[in-house]
Amino acid sequence: MTIALEVSHLVKRFGGLIATNDLSFTLNEGESLGLIGPNGAGKTTVFSQIMGELRQTSGTICYFGQDIGGLSTPERIAKGIGRTYQVPRPFSDLTVRENIRVGLMPDSLISMIFGRSDQSKENELGQSVGFSIRDLDKSASELAMGDLRKLELARTLATGARVLLLDEVFAGLTTGEISMISDLLKDLRRRGFTFLIVSHDLPAMEPLIDKAIAIERGTMIAEGVFSDVLANHDVRASYLGDTDVGS
Amino acid sequence: MPEFVERGTLRTMIQACYLAIFAMSWDVLSGRTGYISFGHPFLIGIGAYSTAILSKKFGVPPEYSIPLAIVITMFGGLVVLLPALRIKGSYFALVTLAFMELMYQLVQVIRPDLTGGTRGITGIKSLTRGAEAGYELAVTLMLGVALGLWLLMRTRFGTALWAIGMDEDSVRGSGLSTTRLKTMAFLVSALVAGLGGAYYAHYTGSLAPRALFDIDFLFTIIVAALIGGAGTIIGPMFGAFFLIFLLEWLRPILPGAERYFVYGGVALILYMYQPKGLVAIAQSLRDRVRGDNYDHRA
Ligand SMILES: Nc1ncnc2c1ncn2[C@@H]1O[C@H](COP(=O)(O)OP(=O)(O)OP(=O)(O)O)[C@@H](O)[C@H]1O
Ligand SMILES: [Mg+2]
Repeated sequence: MTIALEVSHLVKRFGGLIATNDLSFTLNEGESLGLIGPNGAGKTTVFSQIMGELRQTSGTICYFGQDIGGLSTPERIAKGIGRTYQVPRPFSDLTVRENIRVGLMPDSLISMIFGRSDQSKENELGQSVGFSIRDLDKSASELAMGDLRKLELARTLATGARVLLLDEVFAGLTTGEISMISDLLKDLRRRGFTFLIVSHDLPAMEPLIDKAIAIERGTMIAEGVFSDVLANHDVRASYLGDTDVGS
Repeated sequence: MPEFVERGTLRTMIQACYLAIFAMSWDVLSGRTGYISFGHPFLIGIGAYSTAILSKKFGVPPEYSIPLAIVITMFGGLVVLLPALRIKGSYFALVTLAFMELMYQLVQVIRPDLTGGTRGITGIKSLTRGAEAGYELAVTLMLGVALGLWLLMRTRFGTALWAIGMDEDSVRGSGLSTTRLKTMAFLVSALVAGLGGAYYAHYTGSLAPRALFDIDFLFTIIVAALIGGAGTIIGPMFGAFFLIFLLEWLRPILPGAERYFVYGGVALILYMYQPKGLVAIAQSLRDRVRGDNYDHRA
């Protein structure tokens, strides 16, 4: 099996706070890994480092065997990594279609100025996450949370990402929307996409992942099959009193 | 049309055309990306001084001195402001403001024999004879710039600039190098500023550094873009004409700098009523009449 993502001895300090503490894990191509931990455990910070939005204090991040530590965020995206944001970040004065268009744009001024946008590709991406053609002309500022999550996903897929880092895909969604997004992700898994998924909704995440890691205060406390991770003594302790568990 | 209007009105129209060009130039960078430039007089000044010096002191004909002035503006502006484009928001504004002031100081100390020092330059060769021809040239330039920018902003490049104004990190998160996009927006903006500045120098025939590198001039440009409607092409043009005629109309009533307070007040009230500017107000009126849905674009 090919290793898609290999994080080794990753450390991130914010002043005195250690947000990522000597974290190592591997993610095989086509596999799906869940990343769990209480609020403030450092899950989002791991994503930001993999994307190059934050520089790690030390440690390495390899993508298909190549150290990507020196690459900019757009360069990493060009290689096929993409993320969604925990709090959706749409371009709110643009339409849904234009939001997807930004994701589809190649990082080249020449083709941005002289090339044309691909309507059918935009339709296809929009529909793949559950938008109707009519929805595509809505302004992103009109969308409710469920649609914002779909848009987030469509725009990330539009960049051509094959390894998807999904931060709280289910937060703020209705049960209907959860099963819709869940079906979409299952379909993407069948098509060979690789996932790193963060979610506080453990039951919704369960069918989407092959294994899981749990972190607390930046440190890994358990790793393995999801049920084992959940049964782990330290994981239970860290979640105790965390009102989000199982919500 | 020019035959029917008074010479004074014609001059006012010409002023409005040039202001529209400057406001469009500002808007392509600042109205779209949200990087507020306080340095447009600096760019316009490079264009104006370059063609003035080249044509007056070195005898370069305007058909060469103007394109040269544009190139000098683009690259001169880029060299000093590129580092600033990497920093965010308000710092960009501060750095550009500093450069405007620096330019004012520089033209006085560096080679005053060329720049004319504090007195500026007079006797810059005119390109046209008479107010009508000057007006036609100004309108042509304005419409040419508007068309060019409109075509450019319709592309994916235009959409991306707009997206930067909404959430720059998210544009990077969509795989686009935002520094490159901002640099290109800056170059386009500088091109238009240099072009406007150079033609304006030949139109007025003289340059006075205190009037050019001046806060009043800067605010007139920004207010024109904002009250007309930033992020559009028609907005800054609309705003420029509105502002110039408002100032002209206020001149007999309020001869001094108080006029600027009045337009500041008008701008503020308009802005509170509709932050997207006069064009959006006009559109919503039209749509209300026709009963359409409200759309914010122009
Ligand atoms: N830019 C930053 N500067 C300083 N501290 C930060 C920064 N970003 C995150 N932190 C801190 O790092 C820790 C980890 O934050 P992070 O957002 O990664 O947690 P999380 O696991 O995603 O939490 P949540 O479940 O609430 O989303 C927190 O204590 C947070 O306050
Ligand atoms: Mg988080």
